[in-house]
Amino acid sequence: MNNARLISSISIAALLAASAAAAQETDWKSQLGDHADKTLRVMTITDPFIDSMNAVKDGFTQATGAKVEIDGYGYDALHEKQLLACSQNDGAYDVLLIDGIWIGEFAEAGCLDSVEEKLAENADVFAWDDFTPAGAGQASWEGQRMCLPVGTYYELMYYRTDLFEKAGIKVPETFDELKEAAATFTNNPDFPGVFGYAMNNKRGAAAGQQWFEWIYSAGGKPWVSNEVGSQEPYKDQTPTLNSQESIDLVQFFRDMVAYGPPGVEAFAWDERATAFAAGKLAMINDWSVRAQIANDPQQSQIAGKFKAALMPHKAGGKTVSPVGGWIACVNTHGAQKDAAWDYLKWFASKEIHREFVLEGGPPSRLSAMQDKDVQAKYPWTEVLYEAQKESWFELRPRHPLAFQLIDTVGAQVNKAIIGEKSAKEAMDGAQDDVTRLLEQNGLL
Amino acid sequence: MAHAVSTTRAPHEASRRSFLQGDRFQMTAFIAPTCIFLALLTIWPFVYSVYLSVHSVKLTALHRAVFVGFDNYINLLSDSLFLRAMLNTGLLAVTSITFEIVIAFVIAKAFVSLSHLKWVNGLRSLFMIPMMATPLIVGMVFSYVFNPVLGIANYLLSGIGAGPVAWFGDTTAAMISILLINIWQWTPFMMLLIMAGLLSIRSDLYEAARVDGAKWHHVLRFLEIPSIRGIVLLGIILRIIDTLRFFDVVYVTTRGGPGDSTMVLTLYAYQQNFQFFQAGVGSAAAVIILVISIVITTFAVKLLRRIEDE
Repeated sequence: MNNARLISSISIAALLAASAAAAQETDWKSQLGDHADKTLRVMTITDPFIDSMNAVKDGFTQATGAKVEIDGYGYDALHEKQLLACSQNDGAYDVLLIDGIWIGEFAEAGCLDSVEEKLAENADVFAWDDFTPAGAGQASWEGQRMCLPVGTYYELMYYRTDLFEKAGIKVPETFDELKEAAATFTNNPDFPGVFGYAMNNKRGAAAGQQWFEWIYSAGGKPWVSNEVGSQEPYKDQTPTLNSQESIDLVQFFRDMVAYGPPGVEAFAWDERATAFAAGKLAMINDWSVRAQIANDPQQSQIAGKFKAALMPHKAGGKTVSPVGGWIACVNTHGAQKDAAWDYLKWFASKEIHREFVLEGGPPSRLSAMQDKDVQAKYPWTEVLYEAQKESWFELRPRHPLAFQLIDTVGAQVNKAIIGEKSAKEAMDGAQDDVTRLLEQNGLL
Repeated sequence: MAHAVSTTRAPHEASRRSFLQGDRFQMTAFIAPTCIFLALLTIWPFVYSVYLSVHSVKLTALHRAVFVGFDNYINLLSDSLFLRAMLNTGLLAVTSITFEIVIAFVIAKAFVSLSHLKWVNGLRSLFMIPMMATPLIVGMVFSYVFNPVLGIANYLLSGIGAGPVAWFGDTTAAMISILLINIWQWTPFMMLLIMAGLLSIRSDLYEAARVDGAKWHHVLRFLEIPSIRGIVLLGIILRIIDTLRFFDVVYVTTRGGPGDSTMVLTLYAYQQNFQFFQAGVGSAAAVIILVISIVITTFAVKLLRRIEDE
């Protein structure tokens, strides 16, 4: 049995090595069309991976002759700009990187060309099965593969190894352990200027996304038919926002305020990442793409002093790792679709994706996550690989009301966090607000 | 034959020339570009907004609009968040404009009193800088200044043993922070107006008041306030309109939170229109904001005319 395993392992390793060698030898000029004198425009988020996209883009120019211009926008501005342009049949951008949770909104507004046909034509280059399952799920809508999940993030918990060693405590795995660990570091003369934890508490999208990211690990779910692994998650969208699990979770958010810096009630992604990089926090949870910031000595005071772990969960439960990130799609109104498809074929391929990841991009393929060079350069990649195994891509709603629904929940969660309402009152309010919203839009 | 044609054409041309040279045509020709401009860029968008406001429609699917009558208005006026936004906007207008007038008057008085000094002109120009800055940039700068962990405001407070303050983390503190930013940016505008008013008071009136033994508060009450109240009212009208469209700073710093404590009308309308793409509700909110602006402005302009008549 052991011999058989050894032989199969050697065979797989040999196969991987062979395929890697083959991938390195890809003759892109023969794979892609000639797009000389064209300029391909890509619209994306100004997350750290935009630098990685720019770092590899010359390869496409060398292979096809087409220049690649990559424009970045902030989260809200990107959503607004992309959807408004789509509603005006604007083809100024050929490739759109959209948040995975926007797919329902974009698909129903008719902004995207499905990727199905191209996948069938170039199955080996696109290597769909190599994308992480949760990432691939995010890029699909109503049974169709619409986009390519090239910028998949997983939410991990990051902790300061130096502080934990000094305190002599273990890395928390449950909510209760997290509270205890956070309390250890807060207002402790042994750790001057350090606070235990900062959550995403700011009103609206920040607090709303946080609720959706944590609810499954708290043993709850956002609406009736949205079980992990469900084939028909949108069958019954009756909200379950005021379930006991949800109320307990929001109370936990409220309790965690005590272990954050002053003003933590208004913290969102940037404030938390900045405070962690400045050495003011012992722990945070954040999207994997932001670990780069904390590990960059130019921007961070804690480079090399932190490690990653899976997000904590309720005692007796298990972690369902939040998945998010960006999927690359062809603009249905674009005028250079051939060049756009070629760009995606090239950019999403295993070979270029590995280059992109080594430049700091988020590993979105299983092959990239298991790559030894990637793991050596970004030590949290191994945890990321574990996180993707227990992840659920419908964790946040992805239908056309996603943006509004998350914001609505976030407004109420924030009221509980700042103490304006009790956790129960807030989530009863969220239940009412979301029910009304879904009814008004014919989803209930 | 040719002669016949020319004789019939001549009166026609003469009448055309007289029409072209007539007052009526020239008035129309001069006014037409403005009317077309207004119709295309103001009246048509307004009419379209009203049309959208009585429909249930998403901005991404305008062709699927469903007529709902006044439902959007009824929903808005029973939406606690919208009502809170109205209240916050009103509070912001009243409080910030009151503080701006008082502070601006003190500073304007100081500048007028010291106007004989050469360096005062430079100082006055420097004082104008906040109102020249883009509100969005002002919001971003203050989000760093008031950052509770790394911001300079808490750093300075710690130097005197105070703080730290959760500038945007507490409902009351957040509203006060927004007020402070607004007052900081727009006091120079009010100061400029008040200073113009003070400078327009003839020096012999001050001299007469001094001869009559008037004290400073008599001068203030019977000479300065009556002289500047017209221009101050104009400033108030402009600032109310400004406050009704106050958006950038709140958008960048608090997004209307914590809770609903800093939600303002424009942010609410923006979210409905451009974040949730609910064009019907968003347009109804925009129409309500416009109606409020028109009512306030009409009232204020009438008041201004009455003051001028007095």
